[in-house]
Amino acid sequence: MTTLLQQLVYGLILGGTVGLIALGYTMVYGIVQLINFAHGEIFMVGAFGALATFTWVIPEGVKGTWYITLPLMVIAGAVVSMVLALIIERLAYKPLRNAPRLAPLITALGVSVALKEAVRLWYPGATAPLPFPKAFLAGNIDIGPVVFPKTGLLLIVVTIVLTTLLQIYINKSRMGRAMRATAQDPDVARLMGINPDRTIVLTFAIGAVLAGVAGVLYGIHLTNISIDIGFQNGIFAFTAAVLGGIGSIRGAVIGGFIIGLVKTIAGQYLPGGTQYDYVWIFVVLIAVLVFRPQGLFGETERVRA
Amino acid sequence: MTKTFLSPPIARILGIAGAVLAIVAAMLPWTTFVLNKGAWPDKATLQFFDAPFALTGFRWELFLVGIVALVCSVVKVPAQRRVLRGLGFGVAAIGLVNFLFITAEGGGLGAVTAADGASAFGSVAALVAGGLLILGTFGQPLEEIPRWKTNLPTPVEYLGLLVSFAVLLYVVSLTLTAGGQGGAANPYSGPMFLSFLGFGGGLMAAAAGLGILRWISKLSEKHRAFSIIVLLLCAFLLPFTNAGTEYWMTVAANIGVYAATAIGLNIVVGLAGLLDLGYVAFLGIGAFVAANLSGAAASSLGIHLPFYLVVIISAAIAGIFGAVVGSPTLRVRGDYLAIVTLAFGEIFQIAARNNIGGLTGGSNSIPNIPPLQWFDGTAYNESITLFGTPLPSGVLYYFLIVVLIAAVMAVFANLKNSRMGRAWIAIREDEDAARAMGIKTGKAKILAFLCGAVLAGIAGAVFAHKTSTVGYESFLFMESVTLLAAVILGGMGSIPGAVLGASLLFVLPEKLRAFSDYRLLIFGLALILIMRFRPQGLIPDRHRRAELAGEDAEGHTLAETPGDEPEQPRPQEVPAR
Amino acid sequence: MTAPILRAQDVTMIFGGLTALSEVSLTLDRGQIVGLIGPNGAGKTTFFNCLTGLYTPSKGQVLLNGRQLPSDPAQVTIAGIARTFQNIRLFPNMTAVENVMVGRHARMKQGPIATIFRGPRFRKGENEARDRAKELLAFAGIGRAGDELARNLPYGDQRRLEIARALATDPQVLLLDEPTAGMNPQETEATRQLIFKIRDLGVSVVVIEHDTKFIFGLCDHVSVLVQGKLLVEGPPEVVRNDPHVIEAYLGKPPEEVQAEVQHAAELLGGHDKGVNQ
Repeated sequence: MTTLLQQLVYGLILGGTVGLIALGYTMVYGIVQLINFAHGEIFMVGAFGALATFTWVIPEGVKGTWYITLPLMVIAGAVVSMVLALIIERLAYKPLRNAPRLAPLITALGVSVALKEAVRLWYPGATAPLPFPKAFLAGNIDIGPVVFPKTGLLLIVVTIVLTTLLQIYINKSRMGRAMRATAQDPDVARLMGINPDRTIVLTFAIGAVLAGVAGVLYGIHLTNISIDIGFQNGIFAFTAAVLGGIGSIRGAVIGGFIIGLVKTIAGQYLPGGTQYDYVWIFVVLIAVLVFRPQGLFGETERVRA
Repeated sequence: MTKTFLSPPIARILGIAGAVLAIVAAMLPWTTFVLNKGAWPDKATLQFFDAPFALTGFRWELFLVGIVALVCSVVKVPAQRRVLRGLGFGVAAIGLVNFLFITAEGGGLGAVTAADGASAFGSVAALVAGGLLILGTFGQPLEEIPRWKTNLPTPVEYLGLLVSFAVLLYVVSLTLTAGGQGGAANPYSGPMFLSFLGFGGGLMAAAAGLGILRWISKLSEKHRAFSIIVLLLCAFLLPFTNAGTEYWMTVAANIGVYAATAIGLNIVVGLAGLLDLGYVAFLGIGAFVAANLSGAAASSLGIHLPFYLVVIISAAIAGIFGAVVGSPTLRVRGDYLAIVTLAFGEIFQIAARNNIGGLTGGSNSIPNIPPLQWFDGTAYNESITLFGTPLPSGVLYYFLIVVLIAAVMAVFANLKNSRMGRAWIAIREDEDAARAMGIKTGKAKILAFLCGAVLAGIAGAVFAHKTSTVGYESFLFMESVTLLAAVILGGMGSIPGAVLGASLLFVLPEKLRAFSDYRLLIFGLALILIMRFRPQGLIPDRHRRAELAGEDAEGHTLAETPGDEPEQPRPQEVPAR
Repeated sequence: MTAPILRAQDVTMIFGGLTALSEVSLTLDRGQIVGLIGPNGAGKTTFFNCLTGLYTPSKGQVLLNGRQLPSDPAQVTIAGIARTFQNIRLFPNMTAVENVMVGRHARMKQGPIATIFRGPRFRKGENEARDRAKELLAFAGIGRAGDELARNLPYGDQRRLEIARALATDPQVLLLDEPTAGMNPQETEATRQLIFKIRDLGVSVVVIEHDTKFIFGLCDHVSVLVQGKLLVEGPPEVVRNDPHVIEAYLGKPPEEVQAEVQHAAELLGGHDKGVNQ
């Protein structure tokens, strides 16, 4: 029982990360029908951006003061991710806006590979996993025999808070309406005076900020980051987005938590153990795509070419 | 389309100036310091880069291109501007490669301009010369590519083809050996090779501009059987050229395995238009099956079957997995399908890493797979003597792989020009229309996956014996991306494209050992750039891919907006240019 | 009198609460040309999609030679119904001949093994398909365009190619979705002649068209769809003068229309192209 509860805790923590990244996938896919392979790498670069800020920008003296360091790192991660995503959108995706769908997908693949390699080549020491600071949030909260790391709790809380804010923003604000309209039909949205380009840019930016934040919190929680975290978590997040129903904010996050739980529970209880825990996520992914492509919370499949 | 922002006489003068400058640049010194006094004194020292008139290596190549350009800009040749533009890009490429390399190795711009009292403007001059040559072609619009007669007497046409293919053989041999073997002993291999590519590329572009390439391809289409025989002969003759060393035979064989695999992938991606991001798994399945049936000591099965049986079994098992991976196509479309294939590829990789069923050796791989044996017991990795010429070890594998590629090409071509191939292309072009033509699209797509997987499985069986060690590291996601890049770079649906793409993507890392760290970065950037600027690839298929190069962006589905019929005639939606 | 070749009975199509078609019936006799007209959004293409298996009707059924149609477009084509599309959907990067050869797909038999080894039987089948394709191109009046890529053909030829491709499936029934959309009068006339030629081959034809003049000059029988319902059907002379049809097209209440029937009928007979736009 304790093991199960403990695994649930770990699953939720992983789920928080995955859910935050999944938001970017779900929003971008919802609006431009692009599987943004590079999104996982944007998450990774966000983590590295925050680490760079911690290493070289934040003065030695305040590195231990969490209420200065932590916000700075989160902001740095978010900004780095956002700027990167905007550059990618402008240079790689935008010229292909009207190209057939395979072209941007392959481009996204290329961006993903290039980003990962760029970090490996040019971030000092990134050829091996790098330690990430966590000193300012060490320790656990013990709930009976179950251990709840503070960093993990932070991750889950931030995920839920940001998702709620995003949901409100998209449902209530003018830009949110524009985003929903563009997702439905860019041409009609344009006729209604919405600038689809700006909306798309905003979507990429929001997704990247969330991924950047996720990157930082992920680093703090696991205390080390490597260039490989992007691809793997990216795939998980994509799975979560599909599972929750592409285009659904709530769905992406709930999908994220489900994925997190699947991985930890499968690693604990299914044959093959942790060696095969990823396999179960891929199995879930394939099963969802084949049997319920609209996901758990998606509208009945909008038939599109 | 071509802009003409220069007056013709000025453009002409610029062209001639560019050609002259290219010749001058070849004779200028190229660096202000001694690059290397060590192992390769005669090639890699200051003398190599600065001595005037001692033309070797890339300077000799540049000199040749310059002379050709000068002749072509003074004498009236057909399609002059096309030819000159091609040559101009060649000159610029040679200049750029050496400019970058010498700058990087020599510690800054001083190395290619002036420093320590020495001056060396060779690469800068070459760059400017290339620029002038290209600029000079903007005086008037580009000409039509000339069409040459293709109804000559048959012997003459045969002779033309023979000469062309002999030149091709020579070029391949030169290309393989250009710059020598890469590695620590020869840091100049990379730039020398790239310079040669610039040289060869420039001349090729000029030949294409003259219409010679089109003429050859028309002739070879006309005399298909003859061309195939001559090409095969050329391939078999390669070991008798300069490239006939153990090292180059190994490189060529490796390229061959991946080229064969890329052709298989081309069925799925190029013909049927289905993006497969886990394709290397089928190569892996073929390889692991072969490894386990080869009698390798590390295999837990301990079975040893004759090779032809192994090939059949590998192909069959890979094919079954191909059908399984393809089966979601019945319900999943487009990029979701790409994700499904990626997921299958990852599952294979995780399973192989964890030594599933004791069949993959996990992180230990399956080593010491015995080499194949010729009928008289000669192992394929021994050296042999043929027609009195000693041939290096590995040459038998090379021959085997030539046969493999020829077979795979034949299968691909036969499938493409058939009921099945047309169905695949139709699905790629417009799935709903294909269904309306009575094509059972689900079945056809699964068949495409199956055929692609079978070819990869066969290639995998050869791969296992050739490399003698099979481990999961050879079949990672990045390998799938590389294969995909090869197909896309070469041109989707095109056979020569897949071979060229695979050659480039697997030769370049071999040549550019010094830059091997940048391999994947360059792949990634290359994918982005190709999609942006040349989505149809280097050698586009005649059915140029609408999916990628096309103009009709949104595939309209019949079921798009039920009940709502946009019934206005829409001439603008005609998929004509 | 033989049994009708195609019979649609009370076809109803509902998309999530929206009724696109409501109890539409249509009968097509062998060798007949039937026209289907109606204003935008009347459900004509939806009806076609029900006939070709792209949609499964929510209610009602479609019978070909007395047999219920399968609900898969490929199977429907194999059963003998071919179609063209409203906005031309050729395979743009295949040549004209290849496009038509794709149409032969279901009537050819070579499997993958035979394809790889190319025996004499394979070659024979392939040659037959190619000859048939060339024949059909010539029949459609674009015999010279065989080796052009479909997307490089002029607009009118693309429409003809689509018809040739549909004919290659050896259909008993051919459904043409606005075959003259965007055509000039000469091309329209040529299309009319082509459709007559197709009818003379023994193929029954259903045509959707805006151009009522075209329809009335072509069809043996005309059905008018308005808002998913069958308004009127009958021989062209009857439909042409029906006040409801004129109302549907001109949007006037029946009593006013009654007075203008004569005038409107002339209009429909003459320059009616712009009327519904």
